[in-house]
Amino acid sequence: MPTFTPFKKTNRRMKRVVYLIFFLIAAVACKEVFEAPPQALLKATLLNSSTKKSLSTVVTARGIGLDSLLYKDSTLTVLILPMSPNNKSSFLVSFDSISDTITFTHKDSLEYASMETGFYNEYKLQSINFTKNRIDSIQITDSLVTKTWHENIKLYLRPLPSGSN
Amino acid sequence: MRILSFTFVLCLLAAISYGQKEPQKKIKPKRTDNYIRMKGIRLGADITRPFQDLWTKGNRYGSEFSADMELWPNLFPVFESGFEVMKIKTSYIDYKSSGSYSRIGVDYNFLQAENKNDKNIFYVGLRYGFVLAKQQLNSYTIDSYWAPTTGRFGNQNYFAHWGEFLVGIKGEIVHNFYMGWTIRGKIKLNNKDLGIPPTYFIPGYGKAEKGFNMDFTYSVYYNLPWDFRKSIDRKKDAVGVSAKGTVTKKTATQKTPIKK
Repeated sequence: MPTFTPFKKTNRRMKRVVYLIFFLIAAVACKEVFEAPPQALLKATLLNSSTKKSLSTVVTARGIGLDSLLYKDSTLTVLILPMSPNNKSSFLVSFDSISDTITFTHKDSLEYASMETGFYNEYKLQSINFTKNRIDSIQITDSLVTKTWHENIKLYLRPLPSGSN
Repeated sequence: MRILSFTFVLCLLAAISYGQKEPQKKIKPKRTDNYIRMKGIRLGADITRPFQDLWTKGNRYGSEFSADMELWPNLFPVFESGFEVMKIKTSYIDYKSSGSYSRIGVDYNFLQAENKNDKNIFYVGLRYGFVLAKQQLNSYTIDSYWAPTTGRFGNQNYFAHWGEFLVGIKGEIVHNFYMGWTIRGKIKLNNKDLGIPPTYFIPGYGKAEKGFNMDFTYSVYYNLPWDFRKSIDRKKDAVGVSAKGTVTKKTATQKTPIKK
């Protein structure tokens, strides 16, 4: 005949430990937050073509074919530009109201950040074409555009003629 | 995650201190409970598996069942098997992984029994786990100033295996009904390299990117009251009796021609 074993000391201890564990788990169970994937952005340093020193200019920029502005009359020494996932990224950039177009040709590669954040693209610059209204020259310092934003190009701008703003 | 790790360390300390509460038992030179207390097979179900998303990122759920028996005094060979699913659905990703896993191993009880009815055990165990699983990335989105791009990856099948060490308790709550918990450390042995996207989740193990995972289980068990040893003994006895009968017959038949 089966006999019922009463709750014993060990069971009571075990229960206490289990309650404690469940309490702690419940305490740490908070709402999940998933971060957005990182972005690989091109970083351009603005330099004076005569002095080769950092230059601060008023910049307005947008991607060609898009209406939304990346910068609007922003005073900058460094320009951060997002690359298009279609191997070519063209921008209309005005430096102190003098406009230039810059076209980057690049190779794209799909990168995995994590399953919690997602994927992103990295780019390898192949060539840069630009108009020379204000831009004097462009030097590629690192052709790899990665999620760690670092200087990719040096953008040499002609100094404004004396007397102009 | 730090808090979770702290929780497990706390549990481990609690488990260790539990084992140290009766020091006079420790100094005994030899165990006096070298007998089998639990007859038959004990079947269990882990009640924490369906609620794993409470402490893991993503929607993780599953079920797990186990079977163990005291084959030798204080030694319990164990078989565990389960199914797990991991889903992550955000604005950027729609991921799913699922698979059936199994573990085989052994538990050793080092809680000395006070009498033959004392079936509570405090044990350490080892496991070898393996899984055949698949993952699929139904969609991913890359947000961009230019335009968001989307893509997907098809089914990826993979095999993975790992080792586990654990510490736990099983207590008989009501006759033949047990409850118990374990704290487990899991060490990944190997998993298939899938390239992009890599294996993110291994059912039964956890995150694939980690070489070591901690886990906690809480199970309920039922001991099937079938004493297989008695059955074997009975069979043996029956075989022995019939064998004796045959021998007697044979001697009788052998003796007959001599008499003639």
